[in-house]
Amino acid sequence: MIGIITKILSGAKASLLIFFLTLIFSLPLGLILSSFRMSKNKILNGITVFIISILRGTPLMLQLIVWFFGPYYIFGIKLNPSWRVTSIIIGFSINYAAYFAEIFRAGIESIPIGQFEAASVLGYTRFVAFVKIILPQMIKRVLPPVTNEIITLIKDTSLAFVVAYAEMFTMAKQVAAAETTIVPLFVAGLFYYVFNYIVAYVMERIEKSFSYYW
Amino acid sequence: MEIFRIENCKKSINGLNVLNDISFSVNEGEVLAIIGSSGSGKTTLLRIATFLDYMDSGEMWYLGKKIVSNVSNHSSYIGQKDLSIDSLKKNKELIKVKSEFGLVFQNFNLFPHWSVLKNVMDAPITVKKRNIDEVREKALTYLKYMGLENKAMNYPCELSGGQRQRVAIARALCLEPKIIYFDEPTSALDPELTSEVLKVIKNLAKEKRTMVIVTHEMNFARDVADRAIFLDDGIIAEEGDAYSLITNPKKERTKKFLQKFKE
Repeated sequence: MIGIITKILSGAKASLLIFFLTLIFSLPLGLILSSFRMSKNKILNGITVFIISILRGTPLMLQLIVWFFGPYYIFGIKLNPSWRVTSIIIGFSINYAAYFAEIFRAGIESIPIGQFEAASVLGYTRFVAFVKIILPQMIKRVLPPVTNEIITLIKDTSLAFVVAYAEMFTMAKQVAAAETTIVPLFVAGLFYYVFNYIVAYVMERIEKSFSYYW
Repeated sequence: MEIFRIENCKKSINGLNVLNDISFSVNEGEVLAIIGSSGSGKTTLLRIATFLDYMDSGEMWYLGKKIVSNVSNHSSYIGQKDLSIDSLKKNKELIKVKSEFGLVFQNFNLFPHWSVLKNVMDAPITVKKRNIDEVREKALTYLKYMGLENKAMNYPCELSGGQRQRVAIARALCLEPKIIYFDEPTSALDPELTSEVLKVIKNLAKEKRTMVIVTHEMNFARDVADRAIFLDDGIIAEEGDAYSLITNPKKERTKKFLQKFKE
């Protein structure tokens, strides 16, 4: 039993690595994408719409395969073994950035136009107005859908198996096959649940910290 | 001294002529009331004066400085690089001019995530780089003037509509503008709350603040304004001394409009 748990724990570490790195990269990337998505420049806007539709319209599993094998099969680039985890982080980050971009866009567009106008008349530049006035209000509004995405992300880390990355679910399956028992899969399930319970708890606390105004 | 002047201002929105050749000016210490029915272009006029909208043709001055000139029958803004709205919004010259005026909105537009005090203090500190202690002192003075000194640490959502509008007026005042525009400041308030906001504006008028007030409160306009403009279908149908324009209008159209308020 201890052997099972240590193996799954090593997989959990690998899963958490994907999880945290994806969050760190996809949230700011999503913000940048959303600003391109709302750009009045038709070309920039059109390209962003197209990219987001591809990212949301094809399976993440397929995207991971493309990021991992693409450089070699398309461009003939030889990559070292660390490319495996790098390609996974890139694939996840860009895919999640697409979803975050649309959530952020909805959040920004839901803020009354009067907030932008008041900031403009008071003499704030657009950048300062965005950072100080629009962004904090946007964050409050997007927390519930962002929590949804983060929870999905934890479970999606299992997709990294497709490029033979030893994340938690892969490890659980291996142990299950070796020991001919289904217990490891349940243990893995419990881990996912506990992680998500913590995520939901933390996000709720963050939401509460914004509840002093409406 | 002339604070604001606009000449031959024309603006059409979606092919509709909203403003058709508007000219007027506001002198220091003067209170100008702009009246007229809905859709007559009052709000658009204030939005043009505060750069929330841009006129098609016409000229504009602030403190004698020409901000908008007519180039081949088309408005050209100071420091303007190209004709796009986007470049006008980023125009540094225009942003500088913004410190000459303040605008009080119909629906307040306070920043909900900031306390009352921060709402009043932030622009002078962030935009004008003023000293934080001086700004705090001044902000508290204005809040006291508004009767809101004990609400400084509250958030806008904890205030009544009338209190919110008074905070918005304090916010505008704290930047020490040369002229303050009011866009129907009491239209979102019930009669009881309306009177507390009007009282504040009356006091400002007594102090000889330069103000332009778009309003549907005719009695208020009559009592507080020096001059009045009656806007109808994008033109100035009648203008003159506020008291006589409102109590004794000359033009038929003005009479008809004012009649509705007497009923």
